[in-house]
Amino acid sequence: MGLRFAIDTGGTFTDLMVATEEGVLTMHKAPTTPSDPVAGVIDSLRIAAEAAGEDLGAFLGRGEILVHGTTHAINAIVTGSTARTAFLTTQGHPDTLVFREGGRIEPFNFTVPYTEPYVPRALTYEVPERITVSGAIKMPLDEDAVVAILAKVKAARVEAIGVSFLWSMVNPAHEIAVGALIAKHLPGVPYTLSHEVNPSIREYRRASSTCIDASLKPVIGAYMRGLEKRLRDAGFRGRVLVVTSQGGVMDASRAAEAPVHLINSGPSMAPVAAKAYGAGDAAETLIVGDAGGTTFDVSLVRRGRIPRTRETWLGQPFRSHMTGMPSVDVKSIGAGGGSIAWVDAGGLLHVGPKSAGAAPGPVCYNRGGTKPTLTDAAVALGFIDTEFFLGGKMSLNKTLALEAIGANVAAPLGKTVEQAAEAIVGLATEHMVQAIMDITVNQGIDPTQATFVAGGGAAGLNCVAIARRLGCKRVLVTEAGAALSASGALISDLTTHLQAMFHVRSDAFDIEGVNKVLAGLKGSCEAFAAGPGAGAKAIEIDWSTEARYIDQAWEIEVPLQVSNFTADDNVRALVADFHRMHQDIFAVSDEGAEIETVSWNAAVRCRIGSGTPGRLAVDGRPAKLASRPVRFLGANWINADVWRLESIREGQNLAGPAIVESDFTSIVIDPDAKAWRDASGNLVIEVLAERRP
Amino acid sequence: MTDASAIDSMDGATLAVLTARFEGIARKMANTLHRTGRSGILTIARDFSCVVLTAKHELLATAESLPNHVLRGPEIMTRTMTDNHPRLKRGDAFLHNSPYHGCTHPADHSILIPVIDDQGVHRFTVLAKAHQADCGNSLPTTYMGAAVDVYNEGALIFPAVKVQDKYQHVMDVIRMCRLRIRVPDQWWGDYLATLGAARVGEREILALGAEIGWNRLEEYSSQWFDYSEKRMIEVIRALPKGRVTRTSTHDAFPGTPVEGVTIKATVEVKPDEAMIEVDMTDNPDSMPNGLNLSEACSLSTPMIGIFNSIDHTVPKNEGSFRRIKIHLRDGCIVGRPRHPTSCSVATTNIADRVANPVQAAMAELADGLGQAETGALIPPSCGVVSGVHDGKPFVNEIYLGCTGGAGTPWTDGWLTILHVGNAGMCYQDSIEIDELRHPIFVHARRLIPDSEGAGRFRGALGAYSEFAPVDCAMTVAYVSDGNVNPALGARKGLSGACSAQYRRRADGSLEPVPACAEVVIGPDETMVSISGGGGGYGPPHERDPARVLHDVREGWVSLERAASVYGVVLTAEATVDLQKTIAARHEMQRQTV
Repeated sequence: MGLRFAIDTGGTFTDLMVATEEGVLTMHKAPTTPSDPVAGVIDSLRIAAEAAGEDLGAFLGRGEILVHGTTHAINAIVTGSTARTAFLTTQGHPDTLVFREGGRIEPFNFTVPYTEPYVPRALTYEVPERITVSGAIKMPLDEDAVVAILAKVKAARVEAIGVSFLWSMVNPAHEIAVGALIAKHLPGVPYTLSHEVNPSIREYRRASSTCIDASLKPVIGAYMRGLEKRLRDAGFRGRVLVVTSQGGVMDASRAAEAPVHLINSGPSMAPVAAKAYGAGDAAETLIVGDAGGTTFDVSLVRRGRIPRTRETWLGQPFRSHMTGMPSVDVKSIGAGGGSIAWVDAGGLLHVGPKSAGAAPGPVCYNRGGTKPTLTDAAVALGFIDTEFFLGGKMSLNKTLALEAIGANVAAPLGKTVEQAAEAIVGLATEHMVQAIMDITVNQGIDPTQATFVAGGGAAGLNCVAIARRLGCKRVLVTEAGAALSASGALISDLTTHLQAMFHVRSDAFDIEGVNKVLAGLKGSCEAFAAGPGAGAKAIEIDWSTEARYIDQAWEIEVPLQVSNFTADDNVRALVADFHRMHQDIFAVSDEGAEIETVSWNAAVRCRIGSGTPGRLAVDGRPAKLASRPVRFLGANWINADVWRLESIREGQNLAGPAIVESDFTSIVIDPDAKAWRDASGNLVIEVLAERRP
Repeated sequence: MTDASAIDSMDGATLAVLTARFEGIARKMANTLHRTGRSGILTIARDFSCVVLTAKHELLATAESLPNHVLRGPEIMTRTMTDNHPRLKRGDAFLHNSPYHGCTHPADHSILIPVIDDQGVHRFTVLAKAHQADCGNSLPTTYMGAAVDVYNEGALIFPAVKVQDKYQHVMDVIRMCRLRIRVPDQWWGDYLATLGAARVGEREILALGAEIGWNRLEEYSSQWFDYSEKRMIEVIRALPKGRVTRTSTHDAFPGTPVEGVTIKATVEVKPDEAMIEVDMTDNPDSMPNGLNLSEACSLSTPMIGIFNSIDHTVPKNEGSFRRIKIHLRDGCIVGRPRHPTSCSVATTNIADRVANPVQAAMAELADGLGQAETGALIPPSCGVVSGVHDGKPFVNEIYLGCTGGAGTPWTDGWLTILHVGNAGMCYQDSIEIDELRHPIFVHARRLIPDSEGAGRFRGALGAYSEFAPVDCAMTVAYVSDGNVNPALGARKGLSGACSAQYRRRADGSLEPVPACAEVVIGPDETMVSISGGGGGYGPPHERDPARVLHDVREGWVSLERAASVYGVVLTAEATVDLQKTIAARHEMQRQTV
């Protein structure tokens, strides 16, 4: 055992969590260098080494594993620095990436253009071949035609190739043959076959995963090689892992081979952390809100399981591309500390979605921002101490914030500056609440029965207000909540998700066929456990199937109780589980109806680090700080208690109104809430009474 | 809870928060319906809408509903509910699909639930409307273009009929539906999903009323309408004054004159009065076919044309609607139909011939306003397929590619718009899912080069699809307008290409089939469907040459067309030849002046 590092590269800051052999944690932040994210990684490690009083090389030399959460994949797509990619598709179907799946938002807004296909039509090639729903070959692959196409691909100076044929996940023969031809005729050109990267039904999603994956291979390959080399050069000799969209980790070298898994690398870890810190009771449902400077990410933990979705978009829904990959279900909205508040011509207040971002940032940063933001409102109300922002590393200009709110919000609304600031926080809270409502209704979760876990630098400003609106009785801010994703990365498992397509109905259940599929998956899981997972402390396989009522269109994921069906009882149990799950999610079920399953999943988890979260090092500073005037929502100015989060002892009770500060965040405890610190170091806030807005 | 605070006028912050909450309720209803529906038309194509109205029959919140489902009509439906059932109580639910009482057309089964407070007072009404895979017509399609009247159509008509009492189903009605509607289990699943969505809306509004106070919510609606009206007034005052008449012609169908049906829309913008008026009275009488518009569609479709043409941030509700007046007459094809006139296809064909000339008329008022025309519906690729495979019947609507978005002052046509009334909200099918669910095989689905209406901003391309039954015969029912009359351009933009449909015989030859038909495709034949392109906005020679170059590179526009229609000449290296382009465009400019 040695040191474990978890590093989450965000848009503004790179968060680092270090765990010692004894499970003692430290948290560090370094500025992100957008042009060279690895520099931020090394810088954060240098800061940690200095704090430990060690030389960087010696410090890193004690390292056992390093887990990295990175936005490099999504950034490469957004900035257009992916490879020039070709798309090979089934003849007759060249426009799969152009049509996508239809759908639109804002029906009357025609100012937003239709999205260009992920791979231009000019680099899309139709391959003579066709397989049917049963896997039968309707039109054999024309290999000569493929060779001719590859010559054109070469002439077009293509750098990567995605191959996705209809029904390849049922019969991959044609894709495999094309893969061999690419290797022969275009050696060295990276390619992705759809049945390998995402063997699931729906040709658009599979083709999209495939082309995104291929396009990322050169850039992510280079990034991972650079990361490993610079870490080795700096003295690290342990294992380098990266965070995947599914909330697990994989070896950096393996991620370079399947980079599409990294699209949601950052936000996927928040629920992993919340689950580890917050689920003392496994039956508990958690709503996880991660609030940063520009976005508010919501995810869930339902009775110990983190719900997943295949509807993950690279940008706005219907205005961008779907990754098609299973991913932790995260809903992001443009709401954060940097969200700009403004009043329209009709006198209506708006907060966001425009953000002041990191530059110029909120007005109070005094870096040229002139438009008031949520952070400015928090400063105006006294939620944030202008002298103790980021632990006193940066001081804020309250006067400028007040002026901006006065001119842009208070005057047009006919309110005082304080009232206007309160209105800004109130409306931002409502937007966050609506984002939570969307994801909870889609996953069938009743917020009043859930605990709200608040993470990220801006979450503390209104987490109690959000909980009150949702009807949650409890809010939990983890000790390392300001770096929630990094703290999740520290404890995540080495994971791989395997899937096989096999359609079967419950009233004609092909037990033998299903068992064959499950046995195949089990073999792959065991191979993974014996390979990348060798030496793991524990190995578990989560089995599930994606099923629906006959004639329904969308599947739900139902856990399997067995990995081998021995009798009809097993089938009946699966059907019963499906009804229960459907009732859970949608509040209706159709008990008499048969179901059909489309695909079978196995997720193998290999425990490589510690499964239990550690604790931050004890802080010797006094817990109680000087009180200061604060204007809580719906109340007048009062002199509020101010506490230092890290120094509050376990069992110490505090009553609102109060502010709890750490070096990285400020938590507002409203007048009718009370809080205490639990044995895991969490700040638990009990929201007492229902109040009117 | 006291309501003393209700006397205070609400500020812009409170309005914003309560608006977010009502929109959130409508969205929650829609999410519930989408996830629990059974038929492909709901769960894949998303052909449904969920809205909230006040007890005074005012449209309040619509989330992202289909424009032609909800702009107008819901308020007539709720009025029918209160007229027919003067004593509403909690636990009631009503089934409504009557085109003579505010519903769009009989295929749109709607559930209305009055939200009743603890004192028994009716406060709001929630409405969930869902297009059915089948509604019991005499033929297996929900689009009966050739139906001479409602009897010929055959659907059961429900003018706000009580379908739940004290939260329990009125099983008599359910049993009637199950005996009339094909695939009754699928209908039952969709009914439960629609009802469930409405019940979710009811539950949420009851909680909101208990939290905020009913009088305060009433005060909110009133002020929200005033705000929306104020926004609309500002927008109209900034428009140029004018009166424009445009026509748009629907192809000849069974029961129409041989030259087709020309729809005339006169749009008058009155900035001084802050009003927009649309006169639809100068149009033919109702016809003996299924194309006639219901009152809901006659009112909604001109409004679609208006709202597509102006600042999209104006809220669409009773408040902004106060600044629009639609003139209709009784017994007109675009007006108030008299029973037993058939309105089977009211949401698409003639409806599109109303919204399209209205937005094109707005375009003629000034550059930067309005839109061109959107391509027409319903080609076979979006038809209803049915048959018997392996002894089991199947029926459902498919969405295999229908495009045709109109060029606008800001953007090229939205590719997957479907039609103007839908605004692209529907999804397109996955071919694999279609092949798994139905005994069909899709040979091809692709866009058609050079089919766009050229313009400064061009229309979307048309789509080609070819599909066949597997080991059985298949009936494809469709009503394809635009075979003869394409989507017209606006402000010197050009028309999109026409639609067409064929049967491909076993020997590979193509046989044209009628535009409005139920065609039986044999086991060794295929159905070929061609949807029309959208119209262009502005003169093609004003299109940014970089955009033309991009279209050529992508294969959307041929080299020849780039030169002859857009005046963009490309070099051998496929870059823009600036000199030749300037000269060609100069000549085009000269000819148009």
